[in-house]
Amino acid sequence: MQRSRKIVVLGHFGVGKTSLIRRFVEDTFSDNYKVSIGVHITKKVVVLNADDAVTFILWDLEGTDEMEQIRDAYLLGTHGVVFVFDVTRPSTFQNLIRDIEIVRQKIQGPPILVVGNKTDLIDLEKLEQQMLENTIPYDFLTSAKTGNEVEAVFLKLATLLNEDA
Amino acid sequence: MKEQEKLELLKDILYPEDRGQVEDISKRITLLELIINDQEQLAEKVNPLVDQKIDSFTKSIPDTLGPTITATLKKEIKNHKDEVVDALYPVLGKMVKKYVAQEIKVLSEKIDNQLSFIKRWKLRLRAIFTGKKEEELLLKELSSSKIEQVLLIERDSGILKASYSRTSSIDEEMISGMLTAIKTFVEDAYHKKNQNLELIEYENYHIHLQSFVTHYVAVVISGDYALKSKNKLQDLIFNFYYNFMAMNLDLVFTSKDRPKESKTIDKEWLEKELAESFGNAKI
Ligand SMILES: Nc1nc2c(ncn2[C@@H]2O[C@H](COP(=O)(O)OP(=O)(O)OP(=O)(O)O)[C@@H](O)[C@H]2O)c(=O)[nH]1
Ligand SMILES: [Mg+2]
Repeated sequence: MQRSRKIVVLGHFGVGKTSLIRRFVEDTFSDNYKVSIGVHITKKVVVLNADDAVTFILWDLEGTDEMEQIRDAYLLGTHGVVFVFDVTRPSTFQNLIRDIEIVRQKIQGPPILVVGNKTDLIDLEKLEQQMLENTIPYDFLTSAKTGNEVEAVFLKLATLLNEDA
Repeated sequence: MKEQEKLELLKDILYPEDRGQVEDISKRITLLELIINDQEQLAEKVNPLVDQKIDSFTKSIPDTLGPTITATLKKEIKNHKDEVVDALYPVLGKMVKKYVAQEIKVLSEKIDNQLSFIKRWKLRLRAIFTGKKEEELLLKELSSSKIEQVLLIERDSGILKASYSRTSSIDEEMISGMLTAIKTFVEDAYHKKNQNLELIEYENYHIHLQSFVTHYVAVVISGDYALKSKNKLQDLIFNFYYNFMAMNLDLVFTSKDRPKESKTIDKEWLEKELAESFGNAKI
């Protein structure tokens, strides 16, 4: 039977939340920055195998530099979280551990995947090195522009949610 | 230039007067986006003020300054909550409208088609006997309120649990999510008043929202939606919820000697009951 799951996508301003979703859902990308306000909802069916699929209802939240400011009401009933940062802007990941902690307090239980986006703008190897040196924990490094690793994020989430069920 | 100075400069360009006033948020944001995205346009405006370095500066704007401007703007938005709710309400409304409007077109076309050959002849005859115009009768028929769609939605997650649809076309799962997001936003913004969003209107359609503890019911109605219809509809919803949803609550209240029986809410079964409760109902 097909299940539906609420997935929220969070992070600082302009890190590429909307772009990641658009890449995943429509397989498109735009350089234009269109500020998100409030929430935008999209849907995508993730096929896991021949007889198993899960429907993601994606909640694309507006960016915020203070995770405390996220409206709790938007997070109710969440099944999974994608936390996005921008690998080109340290301000979006220098407090990553604290940011995740705050999100964790607001959403207890569901898996949180941490994603560094915009990898097309920098040297990936150097970045990985840098992340390691500064012990910045992440699950995926993506580019919404090229599409690199984008699908992997959501597939991983679907698999995690599947194990829970 | 330091980040702060860049920001001040941009702010001066963007809001020459009335800086503190949030009059039309969406207009400003559109303007901002335009300027952030149209680097040439920005360069043109800033050129008289700054040197050639502006070029590399403006090139990096979408990546660097864009989010900073957004942050400032959003702080401003936070400080003017009520105005923003007023400004955003139509924007959010549009969000639903955008998705729903085109579906509605399909829907009304279907309704037109449903006026089958026989029905048209009946109307024609009635027109002859009553002396009224055929179109007039047709319009009347179409404008009486009808239940087009019923969605049973989990309140927290916005996940659709079951639905009934007279003429299906809308992506119900997505609409459920959107309705929930809008409902959450509005209710959260007016938290003090502890009110539930009850009605969303768009064009000739109304969406009536009836909240319960774990779920809420959204009913899409076409045609007139007067108080009389609302009362009838609420009765229908309450009856349905009492009969088919509230029984989960029985688990909590059953007496000691009665064994607890847990029933899973089966989608197919719920949809059958929804169709039965709402399908032929007149409101
Ligand atoms: N080069 C590059 N640019 C990206 C990538 N992802 C997003 N962008 C750009 O970054 C800017 C912001 O992207 P959005 O997707 O709107 O970011 P967001 O996190 O949704 O922004 P808010 O919702 O306003 O917080 C846009 O100009 C995008 O084109 C990426 O992977 N590579
Ligand atoms: Mg966005």
